[in-house]
Amino acid sequence: MKAEFTFSSLALRNLKRKPLRSVILIIAIALLVSALVFSLSFVRRVSSGIRLASERLGADILVVPAGSRGFAEDVLLENKAKSFYMDKGIIEKLKAIPGIDSLTYQTYLTTMQGLCCDVPETVVVAFNQDTDFIIKPWLTEKFGRKLQKGEALVGSESAFNIRVGLVEVDSVLFGNIFRMVGILDKTGTGLDNALFIDDGNLEDIMRKGKTDLKPGQISIVFAKVKKGLDPYKIAGDIEDSFVEVDTMARKDIGKSIITTLRDINYIFIFTMLLICFLSGFLTWAIFSAIANERAREVGIMRAVGAKESHIVFVFFLEVIILGSIGSIIGIFGGTALSIVLAKTFSIMKNLPLHLGVAERFIIGGAGFLVGNGICIAGALSPILKIKKMEPLMAIKKE
Amino acid sequence: MVTQIEVSGLTKEFAVADQTITAVDRVSFAIDKGEFVSVVGHSGSGKTTLLSIIGGIMKPTSGQVLFEGQDICAFDDDRLSEYRNEKIGFMFQFASLLPMLTAEENVMLPGLFRKSKSAGDQTKVRELLHVVGIGDKCDVYPSQLSGGQQRRVAIARALMYDPRVILADEPTGDLDEETENDIMQLFKGLNRERQITFIFITHNLELAGMAQRTLRMTRGNLREA
Ligand SMILES: Nc1ncnc2c1ncn2[C@@H]1O[C@H](COP(=O)(O)OP(=O)(O)O)[C@@H](O)[C@H]1O
Ligand SMILES: [Mg+2]
Repeated sequence: MKAEFTFSSLALRNLKRKPLRSVILIIAIALLVSALVFSLSFVRRVSSGIRLASERLGADILVVPAGSRGFAEDVLLENKAKSFYMDKGIIEKLKAIPGIDSLTYQTYLTTMQGLCCDVPETVVVAFNQDTDFIIKPWLTEKFGRKLQKGEALVGSESAFNIRVGLVEVDSVLFGNIFRMVGILDKTGTGLDNALFIDDGNLEDIMRKGKTDLKPGQISIVFAKVKKGLDPYKIAGDIEDSFVEVDTMARKDIGKSIITTLRDINYIFIFTMLLICFLSGFLTWAIFSAIANERAREVGIMRAVGAKESHIVFVFFLEVIILGSIGSIIGIFGGTALSIVLAKTFSIMKNLPLHLGVAERFIIGGAGFLVGNGICIAGALSPILKIKKMEPLMAIKKE
Repeated sequence: MVTQIEVSGLTKEFAVADQTITAVDRVSFAIDKGEFVSVVGHSGSGKTTLLSIIGGIMKPTSGQVLFEGQDICAFDDDRLSEYRNEKIGFMFQFASLLPMLTAEENVMLPGLFRKSKSAGDQTKVRELLHVVGIGDKCDVYPSQLSGGQQRRVAIARALMYDPRVILADEPTGDLDEETENDIMQLFKGLNRERQITFIFITHNLELAGMAQRTLRMTRGNLREA
């Protein structure tokens, strides 16, 4: 016994009559949707990754050596190993700026495997435990004491890299042996890939001469401003007072990346519009041809009692079937692409954030709507045209 | 007798190039419920056009068609579609099957567009296909049927949902004499037993003679023969 004869079986059979044409349309929609899903995933991941990272830093203002803003972002957002230095004297000067509540500073060293150290290239953060408010929130409960000389903490990601796990191991950093004594919680910033030591170790490190750090140098100062004050204004004040430094207010962190991202975004949008237009046009062309070929059949259906709405319904079923198959393939394709290519784009590789299932779901949903929307938009005019034909005229049309 | 179809002042003009062809010219007549009427006339005299307007598959230029008192020319698309679906069984002069449906499905096609989904009456379909002489072709697609066999499927389709009126445009045109006779007997039977009104166009004067009443079309004009 064969399946019941319904509108959907009618639509399916119509599509099977010209399989090549159906497949072409499905491929076009799949490409459209996968491009869309990929770009949305990319933009979404980078932008929310940056926002998350800057929110978690816990400082209102960052002060870095003049011209080093980009380097600082590289370290903090992407954990690219960069070193940049300024004179420690800046700390006292900053304290004199009105509105500053508290300050702490860090010094960044980059490791190079084989030359100085036995860990892969990463950033070693030397921080001041007395003033620190950046690292402290991420110290796991277990680690209830101060770091001693010769001890290091590892970021949650580096924990995998150097395979310490829960076991204490020794590593050579800049010619000195350090014992890895604990792991930081995941911060969602570039710091997850770093190693952390007390800045009291810097003297020993400089003595071994395996780094270009000079005495009295630091990389970055983090400042909190007093409640109710505008970080932007104070950051401006700092830049006005000291030419040797640049500042970033918290919201500025990642700005250069976000600006680049905006350009990428425009390229994506432009590409998407183009692909949408092309797929819409293809759908239009295919359905115009279909409508023409089937004028007679539509006339017959009308003659035996099909309403205009029935005709539209059958055609829309076909459109939706094609659009949905294409969209679903596209969603999987685009998601797979974004996962695979994430390893290729350094900006994504190093960003801490991975898209959650919910977010992927929303992006997939958007892809589905756009895929079907384009199909419907493209097929609309041919379908509306054919439903308006007088039955007998449609039948006689040949 | 109850008047079922009342045509008055019906005119249909076609604009072809820069001249107008009047295919149906101010035609008026009435048909009672249960009548068995034949329409004859030369080719091009306007028979198909007239029948199509009565069947609601073409709009007239002017005039009206009252079906059981209602002017079908004033119906909106939905009502007109329901009229075609429920009241009329139309048999076209030319092949009118959907190629992607089997014979059986073609017969059930009008059921797809009905509000009451009684489409699934397969026994009836098979019975009808048997009556029109192709009981063994239920699952066959139109492309595998001869012209005459396709026509029989279309006849079964028109009869499937018990219409009030059957409009048949040369229904036995390409059938052999024997089948032609069978079909006419079937029509007569349905007409007698169920009071279905028949209006059929034919070139065959012998067939026309089987009707109680014959109308003759001449260049768009109609008169009783
Ligand atoms: N769609 C049309 N466009 C233009 N002229 C038409 C159309 N349909 C029919 N005609 C013309 O109307 C006249 C009547 O046609 P028709 O009703 O098919 O005649 P019959 O069925 O008696 O052979 C013919 O002259 C035919 O050429
Ligand atoms: Mg004709």
